[in-house]
Amino acid sequence: MKRTLIRWGWLFTGPTLIAFMIGFVVPFVLGVYLSFTRFTTVTNSTWVGFDNYLGVFADGTFVHSLWYTAAFAIVTTVVINVAAFAVAYMLVKAFRGANLFRSVFFMPNLIGGIVLGYIWMLLLNGLLGIWARSITFSATYGFWGMVALMCWQQIGYMMVIYIAGLQSIPGELIESAEMDGASRSQTLWNIIIPLVMPSITVCTFLTITNGFKMFDQNLALTNGAPSRLSELLALNIYNTFYARTGFEGVGQAKAVVFLLIVAVIALIQNRLARSKETQA
Amino acid sequence: MNKPKHPLLWTIVFTIVSIAYMYPIVLVIINSFKGKVFISSEPFSLPDAETFVGWENYTRGVALTDFFSSFGWSLVITLGSAALILLCTSMTAWWIVRADTRYAKTLYTTFLLNLVVPFQMVMFTLSWLTDFLGLGNPFGLWIIYLGFGAGLAVFIFTGFVKSIPLEIEEAATIDGCGPVRTFFQVVLPIMKPAVITVGILEVMWLWNDYLLPYLTLDLKHYKTIPIAVQYLKGGYGSIDMGAMMGILVLAMIPVIVFYLVSQRHIISGVVAGAVKG
Amino acid sequence: MNKHRAVRMLAAGIVAISLSGALAACGSGSSSDDSAGKVYYLNFKPEQAQDWEALAAAYTDETGVDVTVQTAASGTYETTLKSEMAKSDAPTLFQVNGPVGLATWKDYAADLTDTAIYEHLSDQSIALTSDDDSQVLAIPYVMETYGIIYNKALLDEYFALPGAAATSVDQITSFDTLAAVAEGIQANKDTLGVAGAFTSAGFDSSSDWRFKTHLANIPLYYEYKDDGVTGQPATIKGTYLDGYKDIFDLYINNSTTEPSLLSSKTIDDATSEFALGQAVFYQNGTWAYNDIKGQSVPDDDLGMLPIYIGAPGEEDQGLTTGSENYWVINNKSSEADQQATKDFLEWVITSDAGRDSLANTMGFVTPFDTFGDYQSTNPLVLADAEYQAAGKTAVTWNFTTMPSEQWKNGVGQALLQYAQGTGDWDAVRSAFVDGWATEYELAHANA
Repeated sequence: MKRTLIRWGWLFTGPTLIAFMIGFVVPFVLGVYLSFTRFTTVTNSTWVGFDNYLGVFADGTFVHSLWYTAAFAIVTTVVINVAAFAVAYMLVKAFRGANLFRSVFFMPNLIGGIVLGYIWMLLLNGLLGIWARSITFSATYGFWGMVALMCWQQIGYMMVIYIAGLQSIPGELIESAEMDGASRSQTLWNIIIPLVMPSITVCTFLTITNGFKMFDQNLALTNGAPSRLSELLALNIYNTFYARTGFEGVGQAKAVVFLLIVAVIALIQNRLARSKETQA
Repeated sequence: MNKPKHPLLWTIVFTIVSIAYMYPIVLVIINSFKGKVFISSEPFSLPDAETFVGWENYTRGVALTDFFSSFGWSLVITLGSAALILLCTSMTAWWIVRADTRYAKTLYTTFLLNLVVPFQMVMFTLSWLTDFLGLGNPFGLWIIYLGFGAGLAVFIFTGFVKSIPLEIEEAATIDGCGPVRTFFQVVLPIMKPAVITVGILEVMWLWNDYLLPYLTLDLKHYKTIPIAVQYLKGGYGSIDMGAMMGILVLAMIPVIVFYLVSQRHIISGVVAGAVKG
Repeated sequence: MNKHRAVRMLAAGIVAISLSGALAACGSGSSSDDSAGKVYYLNFKPEQAQDWEALAAAYTDETGVDVTVQTAASGTYETTLKSEMAKSDAPTLFQVNGPVGLATWKDYAADLTDTAIYEHLSDQSIALTSDDDSQVLAIPYVMETYGIIYNKALLDEYFALPGAAATSVDQITSFDTLAAVAEGIQANKDTLGVAGAFTSAGFDSSSDWRFKTHLANIPLYYEYKDDGVTGQPATIKGTYLDGYKDIFDLYINNSTTEPSLLSSKTIDDATSEFALGQAVFYQNGTWAYNDIKGQSVPDDDLGMLPIYIGAPGEEDQGLTTGSENYWVINNKSSEADQQATKDFLEWVITSDAGRDSLANTMGFVTPFDTFGDYQSTNPLVLADAEYQAAGKTAVTWNFTTMPSEQWKNGVGQALLQYAQGTGDWDAVRSAFVDGWATEYELAHANA
């Protein structure tokens, strides 16, 4: 049976593989190659070695947006997960309307990043207008504006995952803990949180990578204003590519650095979470 | 765990929070009926005799962005790509798990790499390659999306296939089914929950994706909704906030309808995807 | 089982269709009827997007030649041009903003020496040529003028007030008078029923070019004049930056708007403030007329003043006139497409439909000699004619020599920080002078 199956491999993997080559593998390999060249178009490039990578860190905007993005990812990860867990913790309890509230919190997630960006531009500029300010007044305003937007978008999504995690905890465990006279907070810290660790792992992983990769919302809400100070990494790379002639190579090198950062975060996060889970 | 101490209190608290949560969307709807001058000067007021402009923002927005054609292409791209991704990646994932050759393992590892790589890494080269191969149209985008979106789908499907007991497939083989028939008649029906999960996740991504279509589509002929919205940043970068509000509402309607219709699937899809992730 | 068969058929169908679609698309990439030639114009001006599309359709009706017009979204012309030029179906006609822009695209510029648009230039010296002057590469198609647009009725109302700093607009021939008048208006804004002397100096990307580019041109012009600079210098001194600061202070301190709000104020905000009679002065150019006309300020009440910065001899300064819109034909397009593009442009500047659209619908002042009967009715254009008739020296557009978009952004950001109070003037000076040297070097290192 297996031999027949292997013979049919071309049919089962062929279409996906061809598309995968076009949509990912070839562009990826070309991208890595181009990061070592000076080019204006793909077919016209000269090898310059590590020059572009030196250019990446010589570019102040990149270093700034690296820290800015790191701060953004950390803040959103903490806020979203704490809030989503708290909401989930309440909503697994049975009270009138719990299901409806669940639906309400999840909904913003489906609305796309570009659309969200403009919705929040209206809201935040309206609010800040009361103090004669606007979202692009400084990088700090843009930062918290994007944090608010990101939380609004993702709390519902993470909440859904936490609810599933909480619901999978056997009720007897909680009951017996209460019988033994454990307080609510003891039950929460010693039983519930260790048991929903898998959900926490997934959610932190998702929120931190989402934070690092965010582009659409940034483009629509602040577009990097003022002074490219509210540029997250993805937008910084995009602008390096398309807004400056002669910097395509540097842009591609930035993208490689960006990839390495995201990959390392994913690995570390995975390790940490897995070790926590086994301890629990 | 099951009953809070003061259920009524919680209902009241959450009602207030929910209303606040919906407020940004309500605000957009309110402003979509106001003249564009008043949107920036008094965003929080309800339309009154002076500021009310009826459907004008909608008609202007639709005219400026060619909204309905964008909507159509968004639909074509999303549904076509999702169907193609589900069909091809489910086949691939099953084959990877069952064949288990060195080729299969290598393929799987490469798909995992695709999960981590940010789009900016391939954006420039992908837009060049798309044009070079003449795929810069909605149908060509099906292939591009199958390629760039394969990682997640294969990942979830392989996780699911590993949990399917081999005996069922072996029984089908003994009955004389070839691999193709075995897959379509036996395996695929079992995989249905995973197919729904992946379908939901892919549709949510495809419908809202902005950068990939923006860089690959031939914008002279085709736009998607996010591109149309971004195009409203018209003359020298100032935004016609009136038309913008109208278009935002129109862009949200299909999403909200989709959500109301298939809410249960969406939420369970997200959960299943996360547990596998 | 039947259901599954249907699913399978459908799926197979989808694969087949998508693959054949891809293959068909492969085949049709470049083989589309080359004999006739077609035109693809990447248009820069969003305000005229629909006018160009209408003109293209009219041409297609008349000749059967396919003309596509695409307009880049605001502030993304360079971006769009770059990605479009890399495509197989690249624009046959695009535009550059002057010598610096042409330097980027010179390898793509076809020779326009024997084209109608070059032959019909009233002054052929304004065309841009290759380094050795052997080829004509870029031709301006619209001459524009900017300055401080003012509302005559409101200004006269101010002049009639007791203790006004001037009694007629003819007396405003220097920065000092302009400043006195603007401050007088600001002090009497409630009497005059305005929100401020100047419209909001918005720093949204739709508006910031008025300061980082157009206003910055004035100190640059005087410095070039002093030092006899022609072309693009590698470094500048910033001799007249104090004047730049004075005029900018005047804008933000006598305005309709709090400086802290400027970061998100758009060109629409400024235009509507002026068009609704809430402000007396508005720094912008002839192109703004389309957005002002037909609202509460009648055409007779529109005038334009030079931008004074307190430079010596500014009594004879006129308005700022030039072009940053040069047509370039893509030499990488097929011969047939290049020819079709040349024919289209000839039709645009010689046919009735084309001339009518450019002069009356788009409101352009063109540098071509074919527009004898098509004079602009734009009052802001007429204001410029008056200054020229009075023998004032027009200020040239030197901002086309600014080293890069990045330099402009640096200046714009520093200006905004200064206006908001989150930065100081030294940062503006540094962005202007040091930024110039840095950007010049970068631009030429990568050339």
